[in-house]
This record gives sequence, structure tokens and C-alpha cells, in this order.
Amino acid sequence: MSGAVTTFLRSSIGRKQLIAVSGLLLCGFLVAHLAGNVLLLVGSDAFNIYAYKLHQLGPLLYVAEAGLVALFGGHLALAMKLTWENKVARGQKYYVKNRTGRGETIMSATMPYTGLIILVFLVLHIIQFKYGPYYSTEVDGVMMRDLYKTVIEYFASPLNTAWYVVAMFAAAVHTSHGFASSFQSFGWNHPKWMPGVKSIGVIYAIAVGGGFALITILLHVKGA
Amino acid sequence: MSSSNKLDPKIPDGPLAQKWDKHRFDSKLVNPANKRKYSVIVVGTGLAGASAAATLAELGYNVSSFCIQDSSRRAHSIAAQGGINAAKNYQNDGDSIQRLFYDTVKGGDYRAREANVYRLAQVSNNIIDQMVAQGVPFAREYGGYLDNRSFGGAQVSRTFYARGQTGQQLLLGAYSGMMKMVAKGKIKEYNRREMLDLVVVNGQARGIITRNLVNGELERHVADAVLLCTGGYGNVFFLSTNAMASNVTAAWRAHKRGAYMANPCFTQIHPTCIPVHGDYQSKLTLMSESLRNDGRVWVPKKKDETRKPNDIPEEDRDYYLERVYPSFGNLAPRDVSSRQAKYRTDEGLGVGPTKLAVYLDFRDAIKRDGLSTIAGKYGNLFEMYERIVGEDPYKTPMMIYPAVHYTMGGLWVDYNLQSTIPGLHVLGEANFSDHGANRLGASALMQGLADGYFVIPYTLGHYFASNKIEKVSTDHEAFAEAETKVKQQSDKLLSLKGSRTVDEFHRDLGHIMWEEVGMARSEQGLKKAISDIRKLKDQFWKDVNVPGNSGNYNFELHKAQRVADFLELGELMALDALERNESCGGHFRTEYQSQDGEAVRDDEKFCHVAAWEWTGEGKSPIRHVEELKYENVKLATRSYK
Amino acid sequence: MSDANMVIYLKVWRQANGAAEGKFVDYKVDTVSPDMSFLEMFDVLNNELVKKGEDPIAFDHDCREGICGMCSMMINGKAHGGQLNTTTCQLHMRKFKSGDSIVVEPWRSRAFPLVKDLAVDRSAFDKIIQAGGYVSASTGNAPDANANLIPKTIADIAMDAAACIGCGACVASCPNGSAMLFMGAKISQLAVLPQGEPESAKRTLNMVKTHDELLFGNCTNHAECVATCPKGISMEHIARMNREYTKATFSYFEPKNAGGAG
Repeated sequence: MSGAVTTFLRSSIGRKQLIAVSGLLLCGFLVAHLAGNVLLLVGSDAFNIYAYKLHQLGPLLYVAEAGLVALFGGHLALAMKLTWENKVARGQKYYVKNRTGRGETIMSATMPYTGLIILVFLVLHIIQFKYGPYYSTEVDGVMMRDLYKTVIEYFASPLNTAWYVVAMFAAAVHTSHGFASSFQSFGWNHPKWMPGVKSIGVIYAIAVGGGFALITILLHVKGA
Repeated sequence: MSSSNKLDPKIPDGPLAQKWDKHRFDSKLVNPANKRKYSVIVVGTGLAGASAAATLAELGYNVSSFCIQDSSRRAHSIAAQGGINAAKNYQNDGDSIQRLFYDTVKGGDYRAREANVYRLAQVSNNIIDQMVAQGVPFAREYGGYLDNRSFGGAQVSRTFYARGQTGQQLLLGAYSGMMKMVAKGKIKEYNRREMLDLVVVNGQARGIITRNLVNGELERHVADAVLLCTGGYGNVFFLSTNAMASNVTAAWRAHKRGAYMANPCFTQIHPTCIPVHGDYQSKLTLMSESLRNDGRVWVPKKKDETRKPNDIPEEDRDYYLERVYPSFGNLAPRDVSSRQAKYRTDEGLGVGPTKLAVYLDFRDAIKRDGLSTIAGKYGNLFEMYERIVGEDPYKTPMMIYPAVHYTMGGLWVDYNLQSTIPGLHVLGEANFSDHGANRLGASALMQGLADGYFVIPYTLGHYFASNKIEKVSTDHEAFAEAETKVKQQSDKLLSLKGSRTVDEFHRDLGHIMWEEVGMARSEQGLKKAISDIRKLKDQFWKDVNVPGNSGNYNFELHKAQRVADFLELGELMALDALERNESCGGHFRTEYQSQDGEAVRDDEKFCHVAAWEWTGEGKSPIRHVEELKYENVKLATRSYK
Repeated sequence: MSDANMVIYLKVWRQANGAAEGKFVDYKVDTVSPDMSFLEMFDVLNNELVKKGEDPIAFDHDCREGICGMCSMMINGKAHGGQLNTTTCQLHMRKFKSGDSIVVEPWRSRAFPLVKDLAVDRSAFDKIIQAGGYVSASTGNAPDANANLIPKTIADIAMDAAACIGCGACVASCPNGSAMLFMGAKISQLAVLPQGEPESAKRTLNMVKTHDELLFGNCTNHAECVATCPKGISMEHIARMNREYTKATFSYFEPKNAGGAG
């Protein structure tokens, strides 16, 4: 069995399905993250308590973080290998290569680039917030980090806000291909409901990417 | 004319229905361990070649397989559209082995060997079983049972089909069986190879000389038997429905080594092809005959008609097939329909820019059944037509014209599919055997697969078991001699550097063949053709321009070698047509027709196979005769009125 | 149908063989008829080249009716020119305008080594089929053709997949140089049919392994293959292959002690 699993993990289809699984899970994470971000609009206390409670989870949080790192790292490593192999598979490049307009889209063609933007974004994002300026606040008699303030400060800058909007646009483009594509990779493509899956993918991309972007813009307006 | 004991058809004794069984029992067998010691060369990977290679390898023989394309999946069997016949009688409409046999003999205008045709009808059912087992997605009814359609020349529905791509699906089935045996190491593949000579040692076919088309090198291959499955020679007409690389070279070189060429003048002209539209035209495309089920064929009644087809009123149209053949109408057999189209264009009633076309009109069918029904039946074909011609057949009548499609003639073989050279077996369209003077639709696929799957495995074993086959290597002088001959020919061709290209000569030859050895032939025309071809051949060998050298991928050289053989074959076809003083099937001599223009056979003098023996360059070939005996079918005049 | 001559400027990849240096060469063809096929234009050009004593352009072609899968040209950056459901041989010059410049390149894939000019070696496809693209039904084994009922819908799915002509446009146009559509079509055809089912797991594992070893790229679901497939084979067949592959990975095993009694 272990042999079969190794073969699977090395095969093009196996790896693609791993990328799909990790991608879909990350999509799920984005929804949770977005839900948390909505609290930014509710108010500083709501958001800070939410962040505080997350931290109260203790070891569980570390497990979750490790899981996310693994998902993201795995997704990234596999995708990079894939992209590299695919570049090599062409051999000599075409002098002219055009899309027919019926298959490859700007979304699918730019997966490595949007992925790269997301990677850069993620690193900066963690530095800016997780390891960003630390303020304290007291809510209902409990001392906790005032992450809300860090956020508001950051988005006061139009440049920072613009960069986030760009990054969220990249995420939307990335997931608009990735979401439906995962279903295809698992083999869940059926003429009856694949168009539906594709629509859901686009709605997801717009809702999540747009949601994040909208929140940053509102925060900018609030903080500026 | 002479009879020769070389032409012993080796038809088994006994009642027709038992001949094949009896023959299989009487044939000697090679035991499984010994099969591993025999090697077989199979040239060609169409239905006959692929099925033979796969089956022989499964039995244990060591097979070397040669194809001219880059992959054995591309042989021209792939282009067959309509279907494959079998006497399954799944439709309960009165079909039987006997009826398929009878229809085939009658369709062939009584110029085929009874015993072969009966065997073909017998194994037709096994073919369908075999192909289904291999995963060929034949059309099905909703309940899951196989579907059938009807086809020209038969009154039962016995044709199995896979959309309009039956040949493709059958070929890919046979090819997949072949690939299975390649993976097992029992077949060695040689792709992009062209056979340029047959090597005969001690009177037995023992090898071939091939050119590796990529690097130009000549190669020697030795085996215990050679199977030619190299298809027909329709490209002698330059324009035909054959693939560009289809050629006669392998068969012709075998002919020059002693294999007799039988009935070379029997060629089939298919009535529904897309017409020629310019001098640059490279090939003709067939539109499935099934179109004639709903389309009506017509020409304007007036010469020099200038109106658009849809503006020509009913009273100015001549639905000539319906007029001349009221009972079969637009479904008259291929040869008959083709000839009628030629008569119309000869009368100056042709349509289109070249005036060499007739209309095939779906207006009435669309009115009757609705656009969607017609689209459902012929949508693919209509699309193809529109892609090629640029006109929409739903709105404007199609233009069609006959084109060379299949050659019934080929190397002579006996009941065992062995040619006049021991060890050289010929399968599929390359042999002359089963279709007589005219082939029925959906029978070519049947014959190719019958030969490869169900005949050669038995008869080749018998050949091995009953002949002593000496050990021979490629160092044998016969290989050296054959290779030198090939080399000399290509050196000569390369040295000429004349003023005209190979294609120009080929086109000229095609023109002569089409005019004089095509749908209607006459003594005068055939004599003219022979003299014209000889002149053309002389010019060719003085003035052809083959650029480059032989040490690389030089397709002009490959083509030149093929055209050199076509020039010789063309002359023999004309001669064969000239000697056959009758009209039968695809061979129509204008001198031998009834008052209303129908073919008149001469069963007294010509109920035989003409098999030609090569006697050397510049010498007259000898015409041998195999008498055809009809013991089970009464000779009758074909009538489709 | 028009007699008007068109003028076409071609930029064609010329390369004597796989090892040689290649380059683009410009040609002007001024006797192009709108009714010509794309390949017939090459015939005309080659005829001129031969007359001038130059080396004609090598390109693969055979049936010229869109079924053998031999023709293979990258035309202005699109496999077979990019017309829906059309092979190069069925592409006609009326789709172009007089004065157009057209760039013609061979299929580019590391798995398809160049033979000469525009001709490439696609034997990698044969190798994929050899790895399992068949039903092991030796001649003579077959039961009656109607013994297994196959619903029309299933037969139609199988036929959709089986329509593949093995031209390689999928690989050529895939931004990743993947052969998943070619392979998926065969695996899917045989997976839906009862005849192919017994070997399905082994077939899928072997064919995918071979595909990967032949250095084809990976599928990332662009569907550009489908867009240029002359037979319109759909992504669902790749999906079915993916499904079969996962299933086979976790279910297929070869029993030990297999083998016949003496």
C-alpha cells in the first residue's frame, strides 16, 4: 500500500489532486478568515475579543497554524514543481502562441503569477499584523492585544490599502480558476452540474476576494 | 492467354458451406512451442495488417510490422466512414450467411471466387464479436443491443457502424490489439518505413528491403514469410479518396518478383465525392453514400444553365437516377450511379464552376422530415462539406461527383491468401480476391479483418507446417541484389534533375487514367492510354526533378519511386481493360452495353480472373487465366431498374 | 468558389533534422486560391521550391480528410489554426485574407522530437497506448456481440472519447505540454465500457505512469486541449481518468502467488 501511495504522490495526477485538496481547504480557511474580518466592521471590541479568544485556544491554535503552514507550503511546493515541469515539457518555445479563446483563460494562465502575489502578500501580511505593532487594550476588564488598532493604522495609508486590494484581486483571480479546477482534478466533472460548479467558483472568488477588498477599503475610509 | 498451374486456387472440396471447416481441419498445425521459432513480416498496418500482426503475435509468432506513416494507427482504413457488414441477422429481416454471400457475389457482378466469398460471409459474424470484445463503440439501441443500418446493394440491414467513423474505430481496435503485443515484445514495429523490394530465396518470399524514410537508409529484413497488407492502388489516378501515401509500390515490386497481378482494371468509382475545384487539388473527399438515402440527385435540363440551383424550378430539373432507375432511384449501386453522373456531365449538363459536378439536394428531405431530423442524420457530413466547399448544404444543394475510391484488383492469391510466390501472402485490398468486379459498401472493412483475424492465422500455419524453410540471413546474396537494385533506381532518379516535378508527372498520369481507364473505357481510348502512358514514362525517366539526395528525409524521392511504379501499373491496367472485352461492375467498356446504356457481361469468354505475369522491363506481360466456377449461384444480369 | 488569387506571406520553421539548428524562413505564395486547403498551399509552395532546386518543406499529412491525425501544424500560434473541430488539412484558405502573414511552426513538446521542418515524432502516443490502452481480448475469445448489453448513452460516451485521432494538438496547444486529453480519452472510453472494465485499474495506473515518464507536462485544467481538439473531446474524459486513477491507487493490487497450476 505504501508503494501505491508513493506512486500516487509522485504521479502527475496524484500531485494535482493534492494541490486541489490543499487549495480547497485554503479556500475554506479564507471563508473563516473573512468571517473574522467582518468583525472589524462591527467594532474594535468585537474584533479584539475574537482575536483574543483565538489565542486562548493555546496548543490548538498552534496545531491549526501548523496545519495552515503545511497546507500552504504543500500547495506552493507542489505547484512550483508542477510549473517548472510544465515549462520544461514544452522544450523549445513557440515563436508565436495564441489562445483560441475557448480554453485557456487569463485566470488559468496566470495561476503561477497570482500565486506568487499571494505568497508575497502572505509573508507581508503575517509580518504586518501577527508580528506588527503591539498595542494593548482592556475589554470588559481583560487585558488583550489591540489588533484592531494595528489594522486601522495600517489601512490609514492609501498605498497599503491599494496593495491589499491588488492582492485580493489576485486571490480572486487565482480561486476563480482554482475552485472549479479542483473538482475537475478529483474527477468530479459531469455535464449536468459542472457548469454549476464553475459558477459557484466565480461567485466564491468575487465574494471572498471582493469581501476582503471591500473591508480594507471601508477600514481605510474609517481610519484615514 | 494461357492457363497456368501456378494459378491453382486450392479451393477445398465439398459443399460450399463446409469448405472452410473442412479446410481448417485438413490444414496442418504448428505446435505452440514451435510457433516461437517462426518469424513473419507484415507490411502495412491497416485493418488487414494490424489484425494479422496482432493475431499472429498472440499465437506466438515473432512479427515485424512495417508502416509508412509515423504511427500504425494512421493507416488509411481509418478513413472508412459507413460501416461493416455481417450476417448476424440481429434485425430478423431475413439475413443469413447465404444471403450475404449471394449479395456479395451479385454485387461483384459474378467475377469473384465463390468459396472465398462464402468464407468471408461466414467469418463476418466473428469479426463483429471480436471488435466488440476489443471495446469498439458500435452504435447501440437504447436497450443496449447493437444497431444496424442498411447500405447500397442489399435489402437487409446488416451494417454495423460507429457514427460516421466505423473504419477509424475498427482500425483503432485492431491497432490496440497490436500495441498490446508490441508491449509484450512479440511485435517489433518499424514506422516511417517503405517497402521497396521483396526478397525471394529458393523460390520462397523471405524478406523485404525497406527505406527508413527519416534518414533515407535502406534496410534488409528477413523472415520466414511475408504478408503484404498494403492496400489498393487508387492513387494511380492521382486524385482519389485514398490517402496521399497510399501506393502500389510494395505490391508492384512483389509483382516484378513473380507475384501475378489479377484484374488490375477493376476499380471502383464512388458516386458521392466532393468535386474537384482546381488544378492544385491534392485529393478527393468522399461523402458517405448514406447521403443518397435522403438526398435527390439532379442536373438542370438545359445546357448552360446560369440560374442558381434554388432558382431552378422543378420542371427544369432532371432527377436522372429516379428517371432511369425508378425502383432503386437515388440508391442505385455505386458503379451505376457514377456512370450516370458522367453521362450527364458529358452531355454538358454538369454544374458548378468546373461543370464536373451534379447536385445532391436535401431540400425535399428537409421539407418532409424537418431540419433537425436531417441534421441529426447527416450533421457531421454537412459540416465537413461546408468546411471544404464553403457552402451551406442545408440551404444550397451539395455538389458531388464520382471519384476513384477502391480497387478490386490486386495481387492474385489462392484460397490460402498465398500469391504465386510461396510464402508471400496478400491480405485486404492489396489482394484481388473477394469483391469481383465491384465491391459493395461496408464490405471492405469486413474483408480486411476477415483476412487478418480469421484466415491468415490458419493458412500461414499450414504453410509453415508443410514447407521446409531454410535458415537464411540478410547477408544472403538475394538481399544484396535486391538492395542494389533499389539503390540503383533511387540514384538514377536523383541524378536526372530534370525540369518537371514528380507531382506534375503523377497528375498527367492521373489525367490519362481518369479519361481513358476511368468510368467508361473503349478500345480506342485504352490503346491511346497505353501509348500515352509509355510516352509519359519515357519523359519521366528523362526529365523528372528529384531534388536532394537519398541520405535524409527526402519525400520527393519517395514519391518519385511510387510514381515510377504507378506508371507501369497504369499501363497494365489499360492493357487488362483492353483485353477484357465485356462490361462488368467497375469495368465498363462502351462497346459492350445494352441499348439503354447498361453493362453487358460476356460470361462465355470472361467468367475468369485475369492474372498478369511480369516478364521483364519493356517486355509484354503474360495474361493467365483462372476460370471461375459458379456452382451455387446462377449467373444473372444485374438489374436495378 | 472564386478564381481570385490570394497572396500569402509564410514564415515557416525549417530544420533539417532533430540535431540541426532550426530557423524561420519567409516565403511568398502568390497563387493561393480561397478553395485550397492549407496543405494544398504547401503543395504549391513545395512544387515551386523543387522547381527552383530548393529543399521542399517537410510536413506530415496523409488522409487529408481530417481523420488520420497525421497533419500537425501550429498556425499563427494555434494548433491546426484554431478553427473549431478542424484539422490542418481541413482548414481552407478562404479563412484568411490576401496579404496575410502566417507563422507556421511544428508541434513543440519535449516528448515529440522534431523529425524535419514541421514533422515531429509522436511515437510517445503509441507508447502510452502500449502501456494499457487496449482490452486484452485475443482473437477468438469473443462472446456474441450482443452478449453484453451496453446502453446507448454509455456507447455514446465511449464513442465521444474514441473519436480521438491522436494528432497531438492537445499536447501542442496545452500551455503545459500535457497529453492528458489524449490519454484520458482512451482511459475513459475503456472505463465506461463493460469490456474494458476488468483491466481498468491496471490500465490507468500504467498509462499515467508511462505518460509521466515520457516527460509530458501536467494538466492544470486550462482546457486549451479541448479547444483545439479537432474531434471536440471533452474535459470530462480527463476527469474520469482522474477518478479512475484515484480509485485504482487505493484499490488495485496484484495477488501474490498468482500463476497457473502445472
